Parts: sequence; C-alpha cells; structure tokens
Amino acid sequence: MILDLHSHSIVSDDGRAKVPNYCQWIRKKDLPLDGFVLTEHRKFDFDSDYSALATEFDLTILKASEVETEYGHVLVFGVTRALTEAFDFSDIGLPLAKVLEESERHGAVAVPCHPGRTRVGMCAHVESLGIPAGVSIVEVFNGGSRGTEDDAARALAETQGYRGIGGSDAHIVSHIGRCATAFPGAIGTEAELVEALQAGEFEAKSWKSKSSESSS
Amino acid sequence: MEIEELRKQFLKLNFDTAEFRVDGDDIVGFSVACGETASRYTDASDPDFQAPPTFPARFHGRRMLPSDLPLEGKIPLDAGKAVMPQKAIRAGTKLVGKSYLNEIYEKTGRSGRMIFLVSRMELFDEAEDLACIVDSRMVVRERPAE
Amino acid sequence: MTIASFDQVEFGDELPSFTPDTGLENVRRFAKAAQMMAKRFTDHEGARKEGLPGAMVPGVMSQAILTAMIHRWAPEAALVKIDTIFRAPVMVDEAHEVNGVVTDLDEETKTAEIDLTITNGAGETRVLGTATVRLP
Repeated sequence: MILDLHSHSIVSDDGRAKVPNYCQWIRKKDLPLDGFVLTEHRKFDFDSDYSALATEFDLTILKASEVETEYGHVLVFGVTRALTEAFDFSDIGLPLAKVLEESERHGAVAVPCHPGRTRVGMCAHVESLGIPAGVSIVEVFNGGSRGTEDDAARALAETQGYRGIGGSDAHIVSHIGRCATAFPGAIGTEAELVEALQAGEFEAKSWKSKSSESSS
Repeated sequence: MEIEELRKQFLKLNFDTAEFRVDGDDIVGFSVACGETASRYTDASDPDFQAPPTFPARFHGRRMLPSDLPLEGKIPLDAGKAVMPQKAIRAGTKLVGKSYLNEIYEKTGRSGRMIFLVSRMELFDEAEDLACIVDSRMVVRERPAE
Repeated sequence: MTIASFDQVEFGDELPSFTPDTGLENVRRFAKAAQMMAKRFTDHEGARKEGLPGAMVPGVMSQAILTAMIHRWAPEAALVKIDTIFRAPVMVDEAHEVNGVVTDLDEETKTAEIDLTITNGAGETRVLGTATVRLP
C-alpha cells in the first residue's frame, strides 16, 4: 500500500488544496497512491471528517500534524487529544526531545521532515545541537525539496541508521503524490499507520523526476 | 515581536490612504512584458482597453505597513500576493487605496522564525465602487540567534 | 486550443505552458511600467550589492505572467481571485516555465480553480499559487 505521508489542505495557513480535489486528482491522473495523510501545520484538525470521501474514492485519508522544533519541522503520526494537551502544537519553538518523548508516551510516532532543508530541517542543526536522541525515522523524499536537500536527508538517514519515509508536502492539488511511502500491508486508520511505522517495514518513493527513485 | 500584542494593536486599523492614476502606457508596458496577448490589455485603441486584472498589485501607498509597527530595523520581504478584481479598471481612472493589516501570524521557514503580515489594500474608483482588493503577504525574518 | 466556455473545461486539464520572457530588458520594461525601478529587479550588479545572487523578477510580474497564461488559455476568462506564494526568487535571465492545471470546477458558478506554478530549469517550484476564474 502506498501512502503520501505529507500533505496540507486549506486547513493549513499556506495550504491551497481542498481535500476532495486531492482525491479527484489522484483518480483522474491514475496516481499510484492508495491514500494520503493530511499533516496540517502547527495544529491537529479534529473537526474534519473525510470518511465519506475516503469511501467515495476508495482512498485512505488520515490525519496527522507538522509541528516546529529547534531541529526543524517534525511530522507527528497518531495524534490524540491527550497528545495535543501534552504540548502546544502551535508553538514554533518546541523542544524536539519533548515532541519525541510525548509522542512515544501517547502511542504516536514523530518523524523529522525535510531534514536537508536549511533552517527547518534537522541537518542544519546537528552541528550546533548534536544528533538528537530518539529519532528513528526521517523523511528522505520530500516533494518540495530543492537542489540536494533530499540527498542530504538520505545521507543523514544512512549515517544514523534511520528509516526513511516519503511525502509530497503538497500545498496545491497537483503536487499530491510526488513522493510517498510504500508499506507491505493495508493501512486504514491512524493507529494502523503508527503500527506500520513502528514495525519499520516501509520504503520511501519519489516520482519527482521521470525515473522513480526509492529508498528504504 | 509578540504576535498577540501586534494583533491587538494593529489588525483591521486603516494605516494609509493614497490616490493613484491609472496610466494607459503603463497598462500596455505591464501587459506586454508579462506576455498578455489580448488587445484589450495591450492596445490602447481597443474599445475595451483596460488594465489586466493583477495590475493593481503594483500600487503602493505612502507606506506598506503601519509607521509605528515595531520592525526593529528588519525589512519586510514580499512573500506573496492575492488579487481579487471587482470591476474593470480603465486608463485614466483615479483610484483611492485604503490599507490595513488583515492578518498577522508566525511560522518557521528556511530562513528561521518568520512573522507574516498581510496588508490589505481596498481600491475604490471615482464612483466609490470597490474596484479591487489586493492582499500583500510580507514576511519579516528574525535572525537565528534571536 | 483556446477555451471559449465553461463546458469545454475538464478537471485535470493542463493549460498550455509557456516560457515567459524573464530577460533583463523585458523585466526593466515591466519595472518601468509598474514603477518598480529598484536595482534588485533591474540590475544584476546592483542586486548583488544588496546581497542577492542577481536581479530578481518582481513578484507582481510573476503573478501577472501566470494571469497571462490563463488569458492565453481562455481569453474570455474573468479572474475572480489569484493567490500566489513567492517561495523562492525567479531570477532574471534564467529560463523558467509557467504551468497551470484545472483542479476544481463549480458548475453552478461556472468557475474553475487552477493550480499555478513557475519552475526554474532545475525543476524547482519558485512561485506557486491558485486562481479562480469565471468562464462564459
């Protein structure tokens, strides 16, 4: 099963895509995606219910968050109401250690995203802050990466032994599915996604260039 | 800069009113440079000659932001623009632009902590009809050490 | 093919892309018309003195280029809203491509939503945005 693990809708301040249009786009363009995860900036969207859309388009639509730490941006999968009370998702200077620790305590998984990006990626902060403890997965393919940012992410993952995921970081409809993550089994809920990430059996995919790349 | 304080002090308060005259040569120069091919934008003799819809985005008031906004010497950069045209704007029209801050928010980006200031200019024509709304999203970046 | 009416538009349609003229002379022509004659737009050396890698295409020009693409595709389209995000500078004298795709259609209002991008030669998105247009 292939899921785009990083996307934004109009719920994010800089998101311009409506979720039904993501679904239409995936089907119209026959993208090799079975679903996507909405990782809204600095918040968790408790209000939206995409179950009817998921059924209509036969897609898995899950919700997560993208929060901001001193090591850059971090995707949090498996967000619960209790986790949103454990730290302030809107804080743009969260300590990564707290995000990792609280995520684990609440059965969620925290994944630094676009680590190769300046300022908002983990690589930029490793020299001054050191390698953070507790990271086991990073995003190695990001649809919004420029230049060698994904190369830096993959190098970090290789040297530190991190597993790698992929996500488009789509903010507009037509960018969905540029990168994604392949899992061996079916995933239908946030809890199943967390379980699959914890199991460590997944492979990052990128369709940004003509030739498909992959990295586990 | 504390976001909540900025919001309380500055949101929705008019900080500038300015007048602009729409010049026909400017319309043509603007349109041709941007690749417009329709004569209503590129030919002043076209009976429907008018400014292309995003033309009003070029207008700047006497100030881009409230004069007492505590920018601490930082220069706001252009992060984006939204234009919502309301009616055709013809050469020779006099527009009055009224500006206020419509949104203030923060996030981190490739350049560190960023404060976004969305300045909205409402442009009215001589009939006092709303001719266009232009949102300018400006970003103020803080150095990493701050 | 140009679009004359809403009925001719389908979800997922790609607008004919074009390579905008981002040469220095043309940007100067724009800057003069827009009264934006700052050196960061009109002079590579002046822009470098301001710490930039070279002269940049003004954001207002990028936005108007995207609008021109819409008009080339559907000459009678009326722009309801265009919202552009300047992610990275569009550098003067570098080749860029302008693209648009239809991502939503509203039959009741006869409006289409379009994703818009300006990408550089490396395939990096420098400007992205969306537009809503009303069609006859």
